Amino acid sequence: MAFFLETLLGGLMAGMLYSLVALGFVLIYKASGVFNFAQGAMVLFAALAMARFSEWIPMLGISDFFLVNVLAFIAAGAVMFCVAWVIERLVLRHLVNQEGTTLLMATLGITYFLEGLGQSLFGSSIYKIDVGMPKDPVMILESTFEGGILINKEDFYAAIIAAALVALLSIFFQKTSTGRALRAVADDHQAAQSIGIPLNRIWVIVWCVAGVVALVAGMIWGSKLGVQFSLTTVALRALPVVILGGLTSVPGAIVGGLIIGVGEKLSEVYIGPFVGGGIEIWFAYVLALGFLLVRPQGLFGEKIIDRV
Amino acid sequence: MSDKEIGDVILDVKNISLSFGGVKALTDISFNVKEHEIRAIIGPNGAGKSSMLNCINGVYRPQIGSITFKGQTFSHMDSHQVASMGIGRTFQNLALFKGMSVLDNIMSGRNLKIKSGIFAQALRLGPAEREEITHREQVERIIDFLEIQAYRKTPVGQLPYGLQKRVDLGRALAMEPKVLLLDEPMAGMNVEEKQDMCRFVLDVNDEFGTTVVLIEHDMGVVMDISDRVVVLDYGKKIGDGTPDEVRNNEDVISAYLGTSH
Repeated sequence: MAFFLETLLGGLMAGMLYSLVALGFVLIYKASGVFNFAQGAMVLFAALAMARFSEWIPMLGISDFFLVNVLAFIAAGAVMFCVAWVIERLVLRHLVNQEGTTLLMATLGITYFLEGLGQSLFGSSIYKIDVGMPKDPVMILESTFEGGILINKEDFYAAIIAAALVALLSIFFQKTSTGRALRAVADDHQAAQSIGIPLNRIWVIVWCVAGVVALVAGMIWGSKLGVQFSLTTVALRALPVVILGGLTSVPGAIVGGLIIGVGEKLSEVYIGPFVGGGIEIWFAYVLALGFLLVRPQGLFGEKIIDRV
Repeated sequence: MSDKEIGDVILDVKNISLSFGGVKALTDISFNVKEHEIRAIIGPNGAGKSSMLNCINGVYRPQIGSITFKGQTFSHMDSHQVASMGIGRTFQNLALFKGMSVLDNIMSGRNLKIKSGIFAQALRLGPAEREEITHREQVERIIDFLEIQAYRKTPVGQLPYGLQKRVDLGRALAMEPKVLLLDEPMAGMNVEEKQDMCRFVLDVNDEFGTTVVLIEHDMGVVMDISDRVVVLDYGKKIGDGTPDEVRNNEDVISAYLGTSH
């Protein structure tokens, strides 16, 4: 039982991290109807910025660990804001009222551009982000189970940060008029403009928010794995999550992430031995494929009914 | 209809020409709209009616001409700015926010009126909360007016066509526009739905004093409810006047019925 719980908790916390990346996809999709291929590149870009700023800031004579990290986070956030603004100015503004496919291709272009720019601005070695997250595991519930349950403190903190971010974004989307405007823009550009929603400002806002989400994701993943080019593939891990949860749903991204996190771990442990292991790598994709066949809009996605 | 007071010119369209590549959608169109009137734009398919509306609404930029609204003259309009100046519109091919409920759709029409900041809204601070409630009351009034109370929480994508048209109108009304542009509000409706929509348009015009510019195919409807009519054919204006004048205009008759030989 203790072992099962341990696996389950480990899965939940890993799932929270997937959710964080998936959230970036959902945000932009909700607000512009675009599947943002560049989300992975944004995670890399943000993480690179964060890592390098936390190296550069101490050179200015600031040595306090906490302050350095806060400043680096703010600086990286500002960089992501600039990225959002430039993307809107140079790309999106010219594609108002275009087909979704056109916009998708545009984000594909942005992906390569950001990957290249990120590495030429910030360098292409492996960097580390140290935000002081404790690496040591702890035992909990030692009185309930023999030997207790081992959890990774770092994962635990990461999960809490992710959960807080998600809660904030849900409130933003559901309770504010800007959130409503975002949803309106996603549904119909022209109609949104006709009721006076400034499309361009909305896009800057949403890409900024997605940039901040990418920054948080990049920070957490970067502190776990180190900041390197392979961080862009984190986005691929989040792809099944959005398919499962539904592209238009913030809670969907969370639940999808949790299901996939838990599913991966449990299947690896309990089914793995029978099929030779390695399930963790493909489990998510198979699950997503199954969902595409049975429920293509995902668990929480909006069902699209087309009138013929 | 006779007892209502038509005011001064509120919207003045001068010498508008619009072309897409080699296709001339509009050629030298001028007409004006007076405050509180119902002004119809009619014409056969492809006459340029929707293009005209899209120029006023800022979706298209005419190459030549100017549009004067409430004393300010523009060579072209900007969609977002048009909305903030008080011109609302509905769409020929419904452009509703399909995933959102009826309530949220109409609420989104009040976007420009909401003043409290996003943090105040998110935190449900007192003033923001009160503001939300005031807007909600307005929206409820519109919902009552359009008789769609029962569908408040329904995602609009699931509503039948006639009701979606009403929500489209509701969203435009929520902006409390001075001028309302209606692009074929009755297209594809049955007789009963048409009658309802006519009643709504007349009531809006009457009760809220909203100026209405509408495009319509149904001649009966147009002649019944509008004060003045502009007739377009192949992007040119061929008639302008009261329904009776237009009805007896030679050019209009030949455009609609063909010339007799």
